[in-house]
Amino acid sequence: MPLPKPFEAALPSSDHSRFLFPILFGICFAAAFVGSWQLAQIQPGLLFEAEGRRNMGRFITGMFPPDLSLNFLRFLVVPFFETIQISVMGTVLAIAIGFPLSLLGTASLAHTGMLNDLEIAGSPGRRLARTLPYVLARAVMSVFRCIPEFVWAFMFVRAVGLGPFPGVLAIGVSYGGMLGKVYSEILENLEVQPSEALQATGASRWKILVYGMLPQALPQLVSYTLYRWECAVRASAILGFIGAGGLGQQIELSMRMFNFHEVVTLVLILFLLVAAVDFLSARARKAIV
Amino acid sequence: MSEPVYRLEGLTKIFDGTLTAVNGVDLTVRPGEKVAVIGPSGAGKTTLFRLLNLTVRQTAGRLWIAGQEIGDLHGARLREMRRKIGTVYQQHNLVPRLRVIHNVLAGHLGTWSLPQALRSLVRPREEDLRAAHRALSQVGIPEKLWARTDELSGGQQQRVAIARVLLQNPEVILADEPVSSVDPTLAHGIVKLLVELCGTFHKTLVMNLHSVDLALAYFPRIIGFRDGQIVFDRSPAEISDDLLTGLYAGRLTAASAEDSPDAVAETVRSCTPLLRPQ
Ligand SMILES: Nc1ncnc2c1ncn2[C@@H]1O[C@H](COP(=O)(O)OP(=O)(O)OP(=O)(O)O)[C@@H](O)[C@H]1O
Ligand SMILES: [Mg+2]
Repeated sequence: MPLPKPFEAALPSSDHSRFLFPILFGICFAAAFVGSWQLAQIQPGLLFEAEGRRNMGRFITGMFPPDLSLNFLRFLVVPFFETIQISVMGTVLAIAIGFPLSLLGTASLAHTGMLNDLEIAGSPGRRLARTLPYVLARAVMSVFRCIPEFVWAFMFVRAVGLGPFPGVLAIGVSYGGMLGKVYSEILENLEVQPSEALQATGASRWKILVYGMLPQALPQLVSYTLYRWECAVRASAILGFIGAGGLGQQIELSMRMFNFHEVVTLVLILFLLVAAVDFLSARARKAIV
Repeated sequence: MSEPVYRLEGLTKIFDGTLTAVNGVDLTVRPGEKVAVIGPSGAGKTTLFRLLNLTVRQTAGRLWIAGQEIGDLHGARLREMRRKIGTVYQQHNLVPRLRVIHNVLAGHLGTWSLPQALRSLVRPREEDLRAAHRALSQVGIPEKLWARTDELSGGQQQRVAIARVLLQNPEVILADEPVSSVDPTLAHGIVKLLVELCGTFHKTLVMNLHSVDLALAYFPRIIGFRDGQIVFDRSPAEISDDLLTGLYAGRLTAASAEDSPDAVAETVRSCTPLLRPQ
């Protein structure tokens, strides 16, 4: 029996714009790179010139030996816990802000695709009622995260005074924007079939969310939140520089006094803290998957 | 009681303004009927099912379910209508990270309140537990009650999906190629199971099948579907080989570039009368 002839189907004409975009994007990126190299005045040689070397040397030799006197360490107990508190409370606040925003800002949940098709088809009013909160939530999230936590902290220090509280607010707001964006991306990219099936049983979007989407997304959501907590520990140290308490404020004080041997102790403690958080969150991540 | 379960008049679905997936379908399905829909890949069968289970909105035409026109139905009344229709899909329609019991109990999701759903995820009620166990026994895998769903085989997952529909207790069961991802023996088992369960519980069954053999073996009414339209609608006895060849004709010479070799082989097989049983 002869084999069937190979198919001679006409090739569908390709959509050229699909290839155009990545190419254009690549060219723009290359141009941006070359431009930035010049504009940012990148001169790696400067690091190794005599002047630069001398300054670095002075800084580094000044750091040793680290100040490990009991007096100094005892003095650091409060800032140490302050840093942890700022990062934890900041992250909790960020979740409280970011999670609700992310739900409103997830397109597949809010206003497009199978979970919305029948609701909005043929009714401009219902379509608007679903699209508007989505657009608003997206806008709020991008404002929150595009303003650096540093700038937020400046504003909150003016508003509520010095101390850990403005640090918590700054991390909460800017990280809230980031968490919201990433949460909605995670939810958006879930497999849609389980949600479709749950909807077909007559479930509302809320029930589809808690019964189908969140259980599916949980490992990724937790994992990213823990990563943000690590970042918050580092950020809370930086925020101390502008008066938001914690280890950062001590670093800033010691720097200003040229007490570099204290600075190195502080940086070491910060390093250990970040490493510990890293270890903890890795364990937590493993447990949940 | 004599009200048809489904009445379709010129039902049409056009995607993106250009792609006509379902093209003016007229159809009536009466309570308790068992209907198989067969037809080549891309004919629009899945789209038809999504219209029937109220997942997508038709572009044109009218649809009545149990005498009620769907039209502009939305909100709570739309969800109430969806509860009356149970769907079994080809695969991947369970929540993989949940335990089997929760996927089975998802059949209750339409009737539960949100707090009830949450509470059940934490700890299912005693009566729900028994109901889930009973449903799993009916599909033959009671021992999997507490297993994690993504650890089951494809065939076992399909049974879980059927158990979910049993818990939902709808008036109609739609099954979109429920056996495409399992081996032929199991395929017979699952189709038989669905047909028998629908007989026992007096449900209407509409099933989409790639395998002509299965359709002819188990269903008293066969609908041939192609290019978004009904080509024939008759009993197995009235279905000739010419009719089948016509339904799938042209599949090997035109526009098959996107088909996997398996799909082509399947088509060849279903076009070849000698391979049919009886
Ligand atoms: N959501 C969608 N958006 C755009 N086009 C779609 C969508 N769903 C289906 N289509 C198109 O509609 C046509 C019919 O698809 P459908 O899935 O209904 O076919 P089918 O008969 O179920 O095929 P198969 O037997 O392979 O499952 C196809 O051309 C498909 O590309
Ligand atoms: Mg299909």
